[in-house]
Amino acid sequence: MRIAFVLNGKKRALDAPPLARLLDLLRGPLGLTGTKEGCGEGECGSCTVLLDGVPVNACLVVAGQCDGRTVLTVEGLGTKDGLSDLQDAFVKEGGAQCGICTPGILMAAHALLTANPQPGEGEIRESIAGNVCRCTGYQRIVESIRHAAKERASRESG
Amino acid sequence: MNPAELALYPFERPATLAELCRTLSARAGRRERTVLLAGGTDWIVERGFAPPENPDDLPLVLDISRLPELRGIQLAKERAAIGAAATFLEIRSHPVLLRRVPVLTAMAREVGAVQIQARGTLGGNLATASPAADGAAALMALDADVVLASVHGERRVPLTQFFTGYRATRRAEDEVIVRVEFVLPRTGAHQAWRKVGTRAAQAISKVALAAVAEFERGRGVRAGFGMASVSPVTASLPTVRALALAPSLASVSDEELDAATRHDIAPIDDIRSTAAYRTHVASALVKAFFRELRAAAGS
Repeated sequence: MRIAFVLNGKKRALDAPPLARLLDLLRGPLGLTGTKEGCGEGECGSCTVLLDGVPVNACLVVAGQCDGRTVLTVEGLGTKDGLSDLQDAFVKEGGAQCGICTPGILMAAHALLTANPQPGEGEIRESIAGNVCRCTGYQRIVESIRHAAKERASRESG
Repeated sequence: MNPAELALYPFERPATLAELCRTLSARAGRRERTVLLAGGTDWIVERGFAPPENPDDLPLVLDISRLPELRGIQLAKERAAIGAAATFLEIRSHPVLLRRVPVLTAMAREVGAVQIQARGTLGGNLATASPAADGAAALMALDADVVLASVHGERRVPLTQFFTGYRATRRAEDEVIVRVEFVLPRTGAHQAWRKVGTRAAQAISKVALAAVAEFERGRGVRAGFGMASVSPVTASLPTVRALALAPSLASVSDEELDAATRHDIAPIDDIRSTAAYRTHVASALVKAFFRELRAAAGS
């Protein structure tokens, strides 16, 4: 099946089995290995990407359901030499340790801050409740997201 | 999960409900199997542990997740009609539902994390017919109707009659759930959603209670309950409902509530919990809701 969609801001089209998982398309033919596979059954959130701006588990979305839609992965947030402010906050605040959960958490947090630029701690924790991290205990992750929100607010007021 | 196996399934995306119904009718007539795919939060996960299919005889997967006739949330004349493919995220964000049907929006907020809310649908929840389905419990408390469509037109089945057994429903092979409908609880109705599970975000319920009670001049006029994970199908708790409509809630004892709850459920030991724990929690949730009702009534 021919699948055409907007991936990280660019129009892409490829032939894929209609029930191929979006996760496998990204990591295989599209070469975007930033999105990680954890559990493969929608529990851990490691493969979180944004589908039309909303966080989804790429292991539970099939290729045929992506046709005509917009997908954003961690590669679309920033580049190696130009991290997004959110990624930068994770570096500064120690929000990443082993890194497997980090791309998914970045995408969930990016969706949160886009919809709600000044979230409270409860809202931050709820937004990443579908993302499992086995290293950090989450505190540094929450602080990283809060840091990014604060920086954005101070940039806007300054 | 074997992604290679998943990639073998034939797949189509009908453009309209009429086209979908024609396809379903033709395939049912030929006894060909069809899978209706919405968010995939059950079916795709289940491919990982379901018995392997014969690759030469795979069912046709029809994507109904973006079918216009199944989308959207309509409110008119104190009735709600929620499209079968409306997602939990759309439901929990709907301003009128948030105000008038908190039992439903609270459920949608806890059914899974945002990634699951963004994909999961009420139609999928009802069609899969898991007794642990949170959406089915909330809709049971609202005494919702399930609206099914086929080439023969629409028919309406009360949710209390929709489930026929464990993961079995009255939906025929040539039918699709198009929407659910219910009367909005009157303003001031008592509504509660209580989910008991292992993990805040993603847990499947050990027990969940949805409850709605409406009063007129201090007298109960409608009581709806739905409970997940305590019987082969979503429990409607008829005996507990009757107690909620008693002339005086103050006269309903905790012992009566315990007995009624035990009468209305048939919990089992399974991977998530035990029958004994589920019985305890089910009774505790029912008694807590009645305490709220008594406190509100000042009795």
